[in-house]
Amino acid sequence: MRWRLTVFICLLLVLNLVRAATEAASVSVRDAWIREPPPGMTTMAGYMELRNDTSRRQVLIAASSSGFETVMMHQTIAKGGMAGMVHASQIELAPNASLNFAPGGYHLMLMNPKRTLRAGDQIVINLEFRGGLVLPVAFEVRK
Amino acid sequence: MNQIALKFSVMITTVALAAILAGVFLADIYREVDSRAMLLPNQGMKLLPHPRPLTAFALTDHKSRVFDLASLKGKWSFLVFGFTHCPDVCPTTLAVLTRARDKMVKNTVGPDDIQFVFISVDPGRDTPAKLGQYVEYFDTTFLGVTGKNAQIGNLAGQLNAAYEVGSAPGGENYPVFHSAGVFLLDPRARYHAVFTPPHDADAISKRFNVVRELEGGDAP
Repeated sequence: MRWRLTVFICLLLVLNLVRAATEAASVSVRDAWIREPPPGMTTMAGYMELRNDTSRRQVLIAASSSGFETVMMHQTIAKGGMAGMVHASQIELAPNASLNFAPGGYHLMLMNPKRTLRAGDQIVINLEFRGGLVLPVAFEVRK
Repeated sequence: MNQIALKFSVMITTVALAAILAGVFLADIYREVDSRAMLLPNQGMKLLPHPRPLTAFALTDHKSRVFDLASLKGKWSFLVFGFTHCPDVCPTTLAVLTRARDKMVKNTVGPDDIQFVFISVDPGRDTPAKLGQYVEYFDTTFLGVTGKNAQIGNLAGQLNAAYEVGSAPGGENYPVFHSAGVFLLDPRARYHAVFTPPHDADAISKRFNVVRELEGGDAP
């Protein structure tokens, strides 16, 4: 009877370790969305919540999508009472931290979509990190 | 016995003093609550101490009609500066204004008492037709306005709305920096207040109601 309990507890521990290992080694994205562009407009922005659950710093170095001619990483900044966008060549994610791409801050600048995008559509954007990790993320078009 | 009476009277005096102090304190707070400063905290909106009358300017709206000083009279106007190739700031602000307008029309004002104007600082790319498509997506009552650079500068200058249009050699892609404020003009075409980002539909509509009530006697 006792050995059964020991095996059971060991199994639980192993399962937990496996779960922790896979989760700890991950970078994930939540709430990925693109603002629906007004008719005829070909520039739009993509937003998301990036989460780095690894114990190392992760660096987002590029984003690409077959659905757009150009995808760039941008940041809206304030300068002399004005707002404007600057290109971000890389964006760092601290260990065990999240980073928000949100209106008025970091965003993916998406230009010239291959087809007209309407609220409800889904489009995949690949996020490329230093070290070779590529994360395909489904963005939802929202009004 | 005497000592108890003394203690008692000291206690009564203390309580009375405390009550008086509390009264003075509350009256002070009440006065402050009643003041304009308390009703309109500076956060999110800057109210001009004295509304500033605008002077003549000449622009064109997306239906190719003249948009000038007279277009601002007789209603409250919310003005924003931007450009249609702007993927982040402009659609975010316009989406907020769409919701703010819904709240205002639902609660307090008639649809003809307010107008929302998007002024493009990028006439090189923003034709009236394009501007029309753009603003009407957000709300069919929104106006898209642009014109000659000098006239855009004229109006923006009167509101201290900074902007900077970059250049790219022969390209369609150039950076534009612009004020992200929402400028509030009263029905006498006077610059009244500016809402500063990040914008919030509820805050804009509530603060506008307060400003409008304070200006109650100032109907056009």
